[in-house]
Amino acid sequence: MSGLEYFVVESPEATGKAYYERIAGDVLQDLNLLQVVEKLHITVDPKVPLFVAVGVTRKLPSQVRVRDFAAVVPLESRITLSIGDETYLAPLLTLLWDRYGKAEVDQPDRFTVVVTAPGVTAQEIEDLVVLDPTGSLYRDLMYALICIQPEGFKVRKQSYGDGRFFFVASEDTLPEDVVQTIVAEKFRLIGVEL
Amino acid sequence: MIFEPVTYKGGVYRYEEIVELIEDLGGYIVQLQQIAGDIIIQALVPRADIEMMRQIAKPLNGTVTLSPLVGTEIAVVSPSLEIHHLPHASCDVAEYLRRFGAKTNMVGLARGFGKRIAQLNVEERDIINEHDCAIYVLGNFQECIHHKFTALRRGIHVPIVLTGAPSKEDLQQCVDPPVEGYVGGMGRMAHRAKRPEELEKLEEMAAEVSRVLEVRRTEIAKDPLSVMPPRLMQVVLEKLPAIHDVTSPTPVTVQMAGLRVKLPYETYARDVRDLEIEHGIRVRDVADVLPSRMRTYIWVRVKPFSETHVMV
Repeated sequence: MSGLEYFVVESPEATGKAYYERIAGDVLQDLNLLQVVEKLHITVDPKVPLFVAVGVTRKLPSQVRVRDFAAVVPLESRITLSIGDETYLAPLLTLLWDRYGKAEVDQPDRFTVVVTAPGVTAQEIEDLVVLDPTGSLYRDLMYALICIQPEGFKVRKQSYGDGRFFFVASEDTLPEDVVQTIVAEKFRLIGVEL
Repeated sequence: MIFEPVTYKGGVYRYEEIVELIEDLGGYIVQLQQIAGDIIIQALVPRADIEMMRQIAKPLNGTVTLSPLVGTEIAVVSPSLEIHHLPHASCDVAEYLRRFGAKTNMVGLARGFGKRIAQLNVEERDIINEHDCAIYVLGNFQECIHHKFTALRRGIHVPIVLTGAPSKEDLQQCVDPPVEGYVGGMGRMAHRAKRPEELEKLEEMAAEVSRVLEVRRTEIAKDPLSVMPPRLMQVVLEKLPAIHDVTSPTPVTVQMAGLRVKLPYETYARDVRDLEIEHGIRVRDVADVLPSRMRTYIWVRVKPFSETHVMV
């Protein structure tokens, strides 16, 4: 699959394997995840039944803080934010309203936000995280794997962190030690030691 | 008289002439659709008169094509209504069959997924059995199809066409007792069928469904129906004014051996039973008027001649 450094689907049934390669490719493409996932190994065994996906993500975009797109200027008891990039203005306003209340947050014009809440420092506002792409990315990735897996596999275990992820699903209960052994084994195939 | 299912496609210009022609020939119009400036007529026409109809349609820029599935209602059975099976594979099948004149209904099972946990409930079973044929659009693994299909076909007595990713031979091997039709190489997908080989598979599927329904037609012909369903449809349309208030695209759906009348059973069943077809023969004499499991509709099942000894 274009975009992925490593992509393998293994299955005891050759026809099913070919179909799952296409399904995985289509789903990742539809959800714009081809640029995010670096390695992906999928195992589908309908006999067990078991679906295991392990993978590694590329370096993800970092968190977006207020200082990344706005100049924060303290003046007397007010803090004025000059917005440089309007993209993050809506989540910023929501965040400020939630923290300080609407009465303490004013937007006199399109690119200016004034915070009048007492005791707030410029440093505190500059460090506010407005957007964390990893959160939505994780949700998208897990949604993609749910779409890829055979539908009846309702018992799931999933994990994400340190740039790698795994997703295990089955129709039956999954014993913890079995999951760990299988996942470690599959991770070794893509060159990752747990 | 042997009737052949056909589709007429043409413009609105003088299309009434085609409608009158079909009526004069003793044929039946199953559905007439006007889409912007286009007219699509699905009809049953005497086989001997099709060539003449083509000649008359030519100056009107109309075409007459054989549509083997006109006058049939087919259930497209999907293991669920989730993103795994819809819209791609199941809708491709349903839409493609409509091109051949079939009326397709999607039956998304509540618990049709999974190898071990798949099941068919009574309501689903009854709804599928109200159709002329059921197409099971299953997935990618022979192992799963082998296990789950036994549960999904339980109680189904209409012909079944099974589709799945394994080859036709593999499908035949993994299903016991055999079903009426198989289409291999058509499994779960996450995209619409658009490649030539995928479209070829849909063609193959439509041909297989036509073949299966032709066998069913032959079976019915051995003990002919007391009245042809399209004729019964004309009677309902002419004598039951309430049917014209129904907003459904096909207020009366024609099946191979029955009709689905989209009026509430409780209110209209008696009226339908009492409709006179001709010479004092009423609908109740030649058909069972039953409550459909689909919404509150009426399902009319035409009895064979051997049962009624009446032929209208």
